[in-house]
Amino acid sequence: MKVFWQRTVLILGLVLMSVSAFAAQQAYKLRVDGLACPFCAYGIEKKLNAIKGVQKIEVDIASGTVNVTMTEGASLDEATAQRAVKDAGFTLRKFEPVQPATQTK
Amino acid sequence: MKAFTPLSIVLAALNVVGVVWSAPITFNTALPVHEGGMVWREQFIYDKNSRDSSPANRDMKVSGLVSVLGYGVTRDVALFGMLPYLDKRLDMDRGGQRVTRSDQGIGDLTLFGRYTAYQSDVPGRTFRVSPFLGVKAPTGRDNAQDGLGRLPSPIQPGTGSWDALGGVVATYQTLAYQIDSQLSYNANREANGFRFGNVAKLDASFQYRLWPRTLGSGVPAFLYGVLEANLVRVEKNRIGGVDDPNSGGTTLFLSPGLQYVTQKWILEAGIQVPVVQNLNGIALKNNYIFSTGFRVNF
Repeated sequence: MKVFWQRTVLILGLVLMSVSAFAAQQAYKLRVDGLACPFCAYGIEKKLNAIKGVQKIEVDIASGTVNVTMTEGASLDEATAQRAVKDAGFTLRKFEPVQPATQTK
Repeated sequence: MKAFTPLSIVLAALNVVGVVWSAPITFNTALPVHEGGMVWREQFIYDKNSRDSSPANRDMKVSGLVSVLGYGVTRDVALFGMLPYLDKRLDMDRGGQRVTRSDQGIGDLTLFGRYTAYQSDVPGRTFRVSPFLGVKAPTGRDNAQDGLGRLPSPIQPGTGSWDALGGVVATYQTLAYQIDSQLSYNANREANGFRFGNVAKLDASFQYRLWPRTLGSGVPAFLYGVLEANLVRVEKNRIGGVDDPNSGGTTLFLSPGLQYVTQKWILEAGIQVPVVQNLNGIALKNNYIFSTGFRVNF
């Protein structure tokens, strides 16, 4: 009986871990040069939002950063981010993956 | 009517043209239009000219609604189209009585392209230099008549001529302020025996963030205080191949204004006040030009 419960707990634990792993969302911090007014910030949001898998964009004009959160299982590569930022009229200085956020199921 | 000088109209037309590529209110600069994006600007203009040194006691008023659409073809290339609706009215003494001549209608369409030739971005700042080149098409009516006959060219909504314009605009933008400057030239051609004088302009704009004083997180709206200067040199008009001695000259405007800037739209208003007017002959002088409008990002 004891072994049964041990195995059950172990299996449940593995299942929960795998669910968490699948629910992990990739996030990125983009440092964007040239971002200096609210009206200009619209373009960068629009361009990044057009990328497949992007769930949320948070622009912080004071620090010149854009946080991009992807949908579950999606990722963003630097070349794609760079092209979007460039098309919006700015320059990508730094591309940093940040600690993935996890969703509680 | 020969004494009438269309400087005010030319100035009004310049302002109309000027709104197209601008962050400033009275002229244009490197307004960012992202690749595939559009900017729509709508501006109401009221231009009053009644400082007359002739016995005709002229009073010229131009009000207009100017629609501008910009499209970002690539990151560096943007195309703009501008179409005004104008209401022009001239009151003057003639033969012992007050005479009014006026017309309203769609004006000339201006199309031009802008190329960002130089761009330097650092955190929170950008510097851009962009030449532009365009053409004004004679889409406005230029043969309107009233009971006194054909209206003088400056009162027609359109000029009847294909004209060229070009120049260069530079912008230095930071989170706290923005400086824009523009050098432009309009080369006008003859239509109906009349040619508006060519126009050279040197413009400068300073926009300072009044609010919020301290930037918070996210993308807060900005309230800019704006001070602009417009130096306008207009050559003499030509009527029937002869220079009109009572036309053209140099005017310097100072233009205070306000802009409320958000991510999606901008509200703005300003007034151009002529501080120096060195005009030829008895050219009609400007009182002020008021403009207000909005811009929307797509």
